[in-house]
Amino acid sequence: MEEVHLQTAPADFRFPSTNQTRHCFTRYIEFHRCLAAKGEESGDCEKFAKYYRSLCPVEWIEKWNEQRENGTFPGPL
Amino acid sequence: MIESQRHSFHLVDPSPWPISGSLGALATTVGGVMYMHPFQGGATLLSLGIIFILYTMFVWWRDVIRESTLEGHHTKVVQLGPRYGSIPFIVSEVMFLFALFRASSHSSLAPTVEIGGIWPPKGIGVLDPREIPFLNTPILPSSGAAVTWAHHAILAGKEKRAVYALVATVLLALVSTGFQGMEYYQAPSTISDSIYGSTFSLATGFHGFHVIIGTLFSIICGIRQYLGHLTKEHHVGFEAAAWYWHFVDVVRLFLFVSIYWWGGI
Repeated sequence: MEEVHLQTAPADFRFPSTNQTRHCFTRYIEFHRCLAAKGEESGDCEKFAKYYRSLCPVEWIEKWNEQRENGTFPGPL
Repeated sequence: MIESQRHSFHLVDPSPWPISGSLGALATTVGGVMYMHPFQGGATLLSLGIIFILYTMFVWWRDVIRESTLEGHHTKVVQLGPRYGSIPFIVSEVMFLFALFRASSHSSLAPTVEIGGIWPPKGIGVLDPREIPFLNTPILPSSGAAVTWAHHAILAGKEKRAVYALVATVLLALVSTGFQGMEYYQAPSTISDSIYGSTFSLATGFHGFHVIIGTLFSIICGIRQYLGHLTKEHHVGFEAAAWYWHFVDVVRLFLFVSIYWWGGI
């Protein structure tokens, strides 16, 4: 059997408490800001993508993606 | 009369105003609840209740003026009651406004992800604090200075000057209220615009309500001073009005710094 490599987002000292909502939101925004700054093709943004996908509930990600498409996303992208 | 009693306290005559005030309060609260839920007649009951309360205030305080200034029941010890009683009242008002400030801080210091984790929320039109708010902010303290001027005039026995000072107090207050009305009228966001609008409107709105009450109180003091009710040793009503006015003043300063200035950047 091959070793399955399990990984999640690293503990971030900016978000020390149990409620990691803000951590998830910040990583989501960091990913999109990274895309805006470095471009879609660059591979630097992948790590942010992995982090937010580990942390955030899928429903939130879908809602935020929809908001971004409509232009109603409230965060500072 | 007061000479026939062998103590310096005031035993009041029976009065219908406490019960009428209570009935007015009952009508206001029940009417208010009815109005906010789909019941018939809520608005009518609410307005009747408010009118009744205002009427009770008018006639009750008129009776206090009659008993004190005209009938002489307010000896030095009786005066201590309203004087020191105004202080807990003002403290209770401070607590009320503190709650509204707390609501504003709660929402603005750690904005939720639903509004994007930023304050002010995206898309909310914020008033430039350097425009009307900054103009209004020195007007109220000047009004406070005018009321202090009036107080010194009363203490010095300069009755006419006191009337002028109170007129200045009221005029400045009215100007400030007028500017505030203008500001609300042309503000880019309203009370229904996100939690920002709610907290902003409640804090500034209730402060404005207190300004209007304080202005009314000062107008009454001005009228009483004009009619010669206030003497240099005995002017408890005026002192209560002045304290209340200074409190409104201080709240305005906190409001400006925390909600207009800090909350807008």
